[in-house]
Amino acid sequence: MKAPDFSYYEAKSIDDAIKFKSEDDEAVFLAGGQSLIPALNMRLSTPSCLIDISKLSDLSLIKFENNSLYIGALATHSEVLNNNIVNEKIPVLKNILKMVAHSAIRNKGTHGGSIAYADPAAELPAFAVAMNAEIVLSGLKGKRIVAANDFYLGLFETDIMPDEMLIGINYPCLKNNEYIVFDEVCRRHGDYAMAGLIARVELENNNIKELKLVFFATGDRPDIAYETAKIIINEGYDYLLTKKSLNSELEFAGDLNSSPAMKLHLATILINKALKKLEK
Amino acid sequence: MPDKRNVSISFTVNGEQFDDLTVSARQHLGDLLRSQGFTGTHIGCEQGACGACTIEMDGKAVRSCLILSSQANGSNIKTVEGYDEPFMKIIKDNFLKHNALQCGFCSPGMLMTTKEIISKKKKFTREEIRAEISGNYCRCTGYQSIVDAIEESIENIH
Repeated sequence: MKAPDFSYYEAKSIDDAIKFKSEDDEAVFLAGGQSLIPALNMRLSTPSCLIDISKLSDLSLIKFENNSLYIGALATHSEVLNNNIVNEKIPVLKNILKMVAHSAIRNKGTHGGSIAYADPAAELPAFAVAMNAEIVLSGLKGKRIVAANDFYLGLFETDIMPDEMLIGINYPCLKNNEYIVFDEVCRRHGDYAMAGLIARVELENNNIKELKLVFFATGDRPDIAYETAKIIINEGYDYLLTKKSLNSELEFAGDLNSSPAMKLHLATILINKALKKLEK
Repeated sequence: MPDKRNVSISFTVNGEQFDDLTVSARQHLGDLLRSQGFTGTHIGCEQGACGACTIEMDGKAVRSCLILSSQANGSNIKTVEGYDEPFMKIIKDNFLKHNALQCGFCSPGMLMTTKEIISKKKKFTREEIRAEISGNYCRCTGYQSIVDAIEESIENIH
């Protein structure tokens, strides 16, 4: 289908964009547009105005500072994928980004856009939560930093205020004994996952000391399974036990491709698959 | 507050300069290109899944259905009609040789994606080629012949 009627405004600066948005509740920011424009074409969203921020300079900076990797909001997935600093500091991000859509979409889709859009089926919000990332916002009242854990409030819903804009994401680096393992099940390479897991593991003497399980495409936001992680640490992986625990602590929401029961099953086996990757 | 439902843009398509075109804010680039006669760009799903509308914008393969015409202001675009370089002839010949098209609807997108694969200047296994073209749907061939054509094109060109 075609997008609904809206007006278009090309922002001249970050401040200009924020000011415009604060005056119009129904306006939205347009960055890469690779999630927003499909939603418009499918008439799932009917904003009054698209504020084009894609040509603002300085927002696609990638740098390493104070043991943290900072990715500017407008860095495209392709730019992040091919960035030497990223590949040196957080190499797993490359493997995750390869699963984000297809080359032609990664050339346009932005890192910050994916974080801010809060699609529960997207990889990057779950990655940000697993990494304990800091989301950097700029607003009329100045800068604000929100922990990724507190950033996602619901389906496509975040803590960004109407007079704020996401300008970058800060990823504190992992400790030497910390690892990110990642796996997902999808029907076609690059499609949205039926269920996915990003696990952050801290090892001590080859045993799991800390575990953070963050699922995507299972509920209305990145889902953290705290209780299940405790059970895995204490008792190891057992399909039935893990499934029972996940079922009691997370609410699985079905979609076109998979029922809640299917997602529960996939989430359970993903934990096993991810842990096996760790042994390699 | 400015209310701009129409936007004036200038851009280049296949070397041809277009100045001060008035476009609707809601129109996507694929429709604009077709309305200007570049009908090689095919519009399929309009949600970024099928890949038929893939074009090149400022040197990179992008989905023309997921870019607004207004965003194309100042850009340099190439569509499937715009390639007269020898490498595109090799790719096209290989598509013909291997029967890598039947109805031809996906072919412009497949050719643009093949061009992007070739530009990466590295070796690809058949599995990697499949991953690269996973963003392009073909409902006729079953992909086998398309992978054959791309594989031979990479061999011929590099």
